Amino acid sequence: MKLLRRFRGPRLGTKIMLLGLLLLVVPWFSYRQLMEMERLLIQGQSNAQLLTAEGISTLFNGREDLFDDLPVTFEEFENLYVHTLQNPIRLDGRADDWDEATRGRRLAFGSDSGDRDGDFTVLLGERAGQLYVHMEVVDRTRVFRSPDHLRLDSSDHVRVSYIRPDGDDGRIAIVFGAPGVITAYEMTADWRYAQTGTPNTQLQGVMEETPDGLRIEFRMPLAQMGSSRYFGLAYADVADPAAREIRRITQTLPTAGKESFNLVVLRSPEVLNIIQGLGYAGARILVIDPQLRVRAETGTDLAVSNDADEDSAFDRLLGWFGAAGDWLAGRFGAEPADPRLRIAEDAEATAANVIASALQGEPIALRRRLGERQEVIMAAHPIVSRDRVIGTIVVEQNTSEILSFQRAALEQVIWVSLLSIFAVLIALLAFSARLAWRIRNLRRDANSAIDPYGRLRAATLRHELRAGDELGDLARSVSNMLARLQQHNTFLENMPRTLRHEINNPLNVLSTSLQNITAEHPELEDSKYLESARRGLLRIGSIVQNLADAANLEDALAAEELERVDLRELLENYVANCALTHANTRFEFSGPDHPVYAMVSDYRIEQLLDKIIDNAVDFHRANSPIKVHLETWRDFLQITVANRGPTLPPRAEKSLFDSMVSHRAPENRLHFGLGLYVVRVIAEYHGGFARAANLADGSGVAIMVQLPIARPAGAREAEGPVDATPVDMNGAVSPAGGSGSP
Amino acid sequence: MARTIAIVEDDPDQRANYADAITKKGYRVFAFASRQEALAGFDEALPDLVILDIILGEEVDAGFQLCRDLLARAPSLPVIFLTERINEIDKISGLRLGAWDYLAKPISLDYLAERISSLLRISEVRAEQGDARLSATARRIGDLTLDQEALLASWKGQRLDLSGTEFRMLAKLVRAPGHAVSYETLMNATMQSLVTNNTINTHMRNIRKKFEKIDKDFAAIKSEYGYGYRWSSDV
Repeated sequence: MKLLRRFRGPRLGTKIMLLGLLLLVVPWFSYRQLMEMERLLIQGQSNAQLLTAEGISTLFNGREDLFDDLPVTFEEFENLYVHTLQNPIRLDGRADDWDEATRGRRLAFGSDSGDRDGDFTVLLGERAGQLYVHMEVVDRTRVFRSPDHLRLDSSDHVRVSYIRPDGDDGRIAIVFGAPGVITAYEMTADWRYAQTGTPNTQLQGVMEETPDGLRIEFRMPLAQMGSSRYFGLAYADVADPAAREIRRITQTLPTAGKESFNLVVLRSPEVLNIIQGLGYAGARILVIDPQLRVRAETGTDLAVSNDADEDSAFDRLLGWFGAAGDWLAGRFGAEPADPRLRIAEDAEATAANVIASALQGEPIALRRRLGERQEVIMAAHPIVSRDRVIGTIVVEQNTSEILSFQRAALEQVIWVSLLSIFAVLIALLAFSARLAWRIRNLRRDANSAIDPYGRLRAATLRHELRAGDELGDLARSVSNMLARLQQHNTFLENMPRTLRHEINNPLNVLSTSLQNITAEHPELEDSKYLESARRGLLRIGSIVQNLADAANLEDALAAEELERVDLRELLENYVANCALTHANTRFEFSGPDHPVYAMVSDYRIEQLLDKIIDNAVDFHRANSPIKVHLETWRDFLQITVANRGPTLPPRAEKSLFDSMVSHRAPENRLHFGLGLYVVRVIAEYHGGFARAANLADGSGVAIMVQLPIARPAGAREAEGPVDATPVDMNGAVSPAGGSGSP
Repeated sequence: MARTIAIVEDDPDQRANYADAITKKGYRVFAFASRQEALAGFDEALPDLVILDIILGEEVDAGFQLCRDLLARAPSLPVIFLTERINEIDKISGLRLGAWDYLAKPISLDYLAERISSLLRISEVRAEQGDARLSATARRIGDLTLDQEALLASWKGQRLDLSGTEFRMLAKLVRAPGHAVSYETLMNATMQSLVTNNTINTHMRNIRKKFEKIDKDFAAIKSEYGYGYRWSSDV
């Protein structure tokens, strides 16, 4: 509690540092600004994408022909989706060089369980004008083509059916004599004989054996197929190496008896031709028809490799910023209303949304996530023909550029902010330390300019006088003040002297005149008026004299020589003589039984005692003794003069020894309160001090003077108790109220 | 022929009072109000004794200058400063100039007359004898010899150079050797009107020092703290 009450506020340094912390808003504002910039950029990008989509869609507007090459319905066809392959494919039987996304989309044919002999799964891909096929066939009884049975249908083989550009059916059988390179022959309509004796070298591939069957990977030029894209696959399984009969044919054809072709849903080359070259880095353009088929696609993979994983601490920092930003935004601002700025978590749903919206004729742009830390803006614009939506253009672009720009900027902002905050805080710290140091100096100066009794010790401050700032101004004005105060003080100090000087002349006139009158008229000698005139004269004289003495005391003391004096003897002697001078008062002296030497001026000590005893006599209760006690401690002695009588008013102990302070009743005789002031000045001149206190039992007052003991070599003095606060009347007091020592 | 006393004092009332009082004692008095006046007067004739105020009109050090001038003309001329300037430093500089006494205002006219006569007497004695010798009226107390007539004192045969006030105080002190003499008694002995214990103490210290100059082990003047002093020669 006490500490709390004494706490008046933070120190200057703390305040400045706290203010310095306000600098933290700089990175915060920078962050906000970056967020805003990101918003703008994303908005700009989505607008640009929309514009792109719109621009592209105008290319297709009215071009229904481009979308009409595919049947609108798929009742009799199962689609064989061909994926656009990003990477070049090595024909090695393994699928691991296929795009990851594509690999998951194998199409399965055959039995429902998928593990009967002849069941197969297939991957279709398109790259550089080639159709890539990867088949995995379940076939536990593999019968390869042998030189003994040259008929092409007497071993396991794959049948590829398609329609050639000229409209004729194309049939190719893929046979293999052993794992390794495969051979393709164009077949006759009954799939028994090759049309020509030479293999079709445009179809290339390999076959590999697996524990359960076969893997076949091959490619053929898309140019072999017409724009109609009819295409079918079948696996003919021969089980018995002896009989070499085809046991089972598993085909991609949906139902037997119908057209023996599937529809290979390929990107439309015409459409592709149009959008080819429109794609740009990090962007993908898709043309989608109302049946949600991707008709053309161009551009690069959207995923950008993440190279920022090592910077996790920084990311955490960003995360905090983001979290703080979100929290504050949630507190003070609304969520951004623009849906384009919101990041959808469900990528599939977003894509579906976008396409659906566009197909209904509404251009749209949305953000969706791509992976952990990337996001993509999808913009879609409908393609219109005769008030009908015949497709949509989807422009997808990831925001990695914006994000990386934002990230770099944020990083920079944070580093710059941290550095500048650090630098500014250091500067502020140094500045405040210096400021505090200067102010402390100033305070010390100002404090020491005036001593505890209010006297001027220095007329000017020592520090900061040359400083050009406000502290310098303060120091100068305080110095100025002190100088003026000193002038005034000098005037006040000289006043008693001047007064005496000025009064002495008229006083002398009066005095000499009175003397001359008595000399001239001896009969007046006995006149009581003359007598009272003389008394008055004397009184004025002594008042002026006392004032001047007190004023001169310090100067006079400086001229005193100190001698080694036995204060016990002095006191004993003094107290004995007191009985002579103050006939009606009893004095008692007590002290040690050994000499107590101190370096003093004995007259001044006598003067000091005069004043204290005068004081005690004035205040003592009649018939009570005035006790003078001398005691010694290790290094100092204490003279105590105690009298019974009225106690000191509270808080008088300190002012009692000041010049011109009197706590006597007003009707008391002319008194200037100089007595105890003289005591103090003399005590201090001797290196000691004086204090006053009420007696512990409240019966009176004690004035104590402590002086240092002289301790010349060889002098032996008994050492008294260390506790300096005895309690009874025998020269003993406890400080009344606050601390008794100045 | 009456002795001539010159008084230099700028205050007309005081000047008149001094002049009256001193004239009554049978001296011829010349009173001057300023330094210039005084110098003019001294050019005509030098007095037997001069009483100087220090501050004369606007000139704060006129008394000191006059004293210097006078003593340059007549080194043995008794000069008394009678002034309200009673700071130690003024006193010292006055006495250093060669003044015979330095008296503070306000002054008792009787005392002034007393001082004048004793200084004149001393001056006479010195003029006659050249060197100081004790007259027959001298009184002996132990090693101390006092000549009340010439205000001369000696200790163990050596002359003490006491001022008039000091001589009187010493005389008072040794009147009853072994007995304490109160401050009050000593104050009366100074014949000055405003004397404090401190003044007495200061005088006593000066007296002691003068003794100690002759006799290092001098300890006959004892302090009776709170009361006064005592002469005890039998130490």
